[in-house]
Amino acid sequence: MPGRWLQAMLRRLLVLLLLLGACAAATLRPGTALAHAALVTTTPADGAVLARPPAAFTLRFSEPVSPLVLRLIGPDGETRALERFALRDRELTIEVPTDLAAGSHVLSWRVVSEDGHPVGGSVLFSIGAPGARPPEASAQRNLPITLALWLGRVGLYLGLALSIGGVAFSAWVGPLPASARRPLRVLIVLGLAAVPFALAAQGLDALAAPASDVLRPEIWRAGIGSSFGHTAAIATLALLAGLVSLSLAGSAGRALALAALLGAGLALAASGHASAASPQWLMRPAVFLHGIAMAAWAGALLPLAQALRGGDGAATLARFSRRISFFLIILFASGAALAIVQVEQPGALLTSTYGLVLTAKLALVAVLLGLATFNRYRLTAPAREGAEPAKRRLRGVIGVEVAIVLAILATAALWRFTPPPRTLTIASATAVPASVHIHSEKAMAEISVRPGRPGPANVSVALLDGNFGPLTAKEVRLSLANRAAGIEAVERPALRQPDGNWLVEGLTIPVAGRWSVEIEILVSDFEMIRLGDTIEIKP
Amino acid sequence: MSKSAFLAAVLAALATSPALAHVTLETQQAPVGSTYKAVLRVPHGCKGAPTIKVRVRVPEGMIAVKPMPKAGWALDTVKGKYGKTYDYYGTPTAEGVTEVIWSGGKLLDEHYDEFVLRGYLTTDLKPETTLHVPVVQECEGGSVERWIEIPAEGKSADDYKFPAPGLKLTPKK
Repeated sequence: MPGRWLQAMLRRLLVLLLLLGACAAATLRPGTALAHAALVTTTPADGAVLARPPAAFTLRFSEPVSPLVLRLIGPDGETRALERFALRDRELTIEVPTDLAAGSHVLSWRVVSEDGHPVGGSVLFSIGAPGARPPEASAQRNLPITLALWLGRVGLYLGLALSIGGVAFSAWVGPLPASARRPLRVLIVLGLAAVPFALAAQGLDALAAPASDVLRPEIWRAGIGSSFGHTAAIATLALLAGLVSLSLAGSAGRALALAALLGAGLALAASGHASAASPQWLMRPAVFLHGIAMAAWAGALLPLAQALRGGDGAATLARFSRRISFFLIILFASGAALAIVQVEQPGALLTSTYGLVLTAKLALVAVLLGLATFNRYRLTAPAREGAEPAKRRLRGVIGVEVAIVLAILATAALWRFTPPPRTLTIASATAVPASVHIHSEKAMAEISVRPGRPGPANVSVALLDGNFGPLTAKEVRLSLANRAAGIEAVERPALRQPDGNWLVEGLTIPVAGRWSVEIEILVSDFEMIRLGDTIEIKP
Repeated sequence: MSKSAFLAAVLAALATSPALAHVTLETQQAPVGSTYKAVLRVPHGCKGAPTIKVRVRVPEGMIAVKPMPKAGWALDTVKGKYGKTYDYYGTPTAEGVTEVIWSGGKLLDEHYDEFVLRGYLTTDLKPETTLHVPVVQECEGGSVERWIEIPAEGKSADDYKFPAPGLKLTPKK
């Protein structure tokens, strides 16, 4: 009968409502403090340094719990969920992944106790030695792509220096010898081919993609989207201008050759460490001038050697040796400016990779300069007088010079992989502490995490009362959490230092980002002040 | 599910013991201008260690405090001046017990006990506010749990890890 069915339904509904109401009452009853589980002991203990990975993680609580989230954050900042665990009474045993790396790990746990109240925390432990961050991502570059990046650069530099510089020979020394045009065309085509090659390598490197992804559009977008994209575009235009100028006679060809040379300077100034440095008003023009002078000098060598074969070699040689000093002054002045800004301290020439590359390059330049001087003062005069042996030797030496230019360009291309000491200084500037100042009515705290980036860190706390007077605390406890990264609070007592500040040593900040920091200041046995804020840890 | 099972669930929900973890007061509401019997419930030790000492800070505005002796525990009080002179049934009162200490006992983590004191809630206390009674629980091995956090404006005891037991004050009867 429908009436009875309805009655039964209503009764059930009533019971359900009662149940819901009771649950609500149980949770909302004023002043109720329900059973929160507290962590009693852990293995490994918080802050432990172990010789080898533990056999298991165990967390013992004051009351039975069930786990909600268990995560392990490795020394590389990678987070993984721990899903294999066993629960026995109040003890939670978690299986340890087999491939734990050396360094500091954070075991972040969040459990729910019987009353349904979630509690969380983190256990910090290290295998081997604390901290030990794995190598930076850049050091994990894969070899074929590194090689491709380097070859792409070398090819581009060769195109810009030897071919465009060679084309520009007509603009500042004299007519290009006919026999030089063919090799210059070949070099320009090589340069043009190097552009997409370099772009692809740039894109693969930017996205940390394997070489097999080279045909994917996003690789190319990434390559073109970087500052190197500008370099590639300008270099392509300059190379094309150079190619056209080879087929143009007279002043039009010379003008186009000059434009190509300026383009080569612009292309080099459009990207790279040096162009990105400040002061920009100095660095970009310096790279531009350095590029032009380098191309003019290096590019002139090949046509010069060819000219020496021909009849009017003497006149050409005379013009070259008169005018080259102008480019050399520009080359060395701009080079010196770039080196001073980038290297900062002479010591870095030998202590940093960037400095070592520069030192190697300078050594090659010195050899080149020695040969050039030998040419200028020993061979030029007899060659101009038409002495065949002198001309031959001069051509031979020029051949060696071209080889050295190649080595210089190949060395300069290595800079793609070495941050200049200038940026290393900036990087170590992030070693300055991350600080936060918390101000409340009762107390102020200046909290500094040193260094302010991931890895091992110390935290110092300076306390003042609300009126900038000294605040003497009995105890200070610090807790750091990054719940966005899945890391529950790591809690540590701070130790009072002789200068009155409080210090927590031996912490590890596994990842960058916004961390919430909280301190409990025990002012007297019965009075505690809790202060909290967030602190930015830079990558 | 049968009706009786439903009812059992309802009863179970209602019967959830209100205080299991924090040190709390049994009676959490009292009018000002009256004598209040504070029963402090200590549900467990400090992270498993047995409790050996319980210290209670008498809040300002609660006067004429008399703790109840407890078998197996030594009872001490600290006397001091109040922040002001209170009227205790016509007698101006400016000093008295400010701290009560039970010590020398041993309350195991798996046991439960209560500590009792009695005091007068002066009319200087504001009704409709919460009076907090900070308690420090000291345990074997030197560990201490301090139930002393007083919620800031707009926060409740639930927002804190170590909330002080609280007592809601109501207008004088």
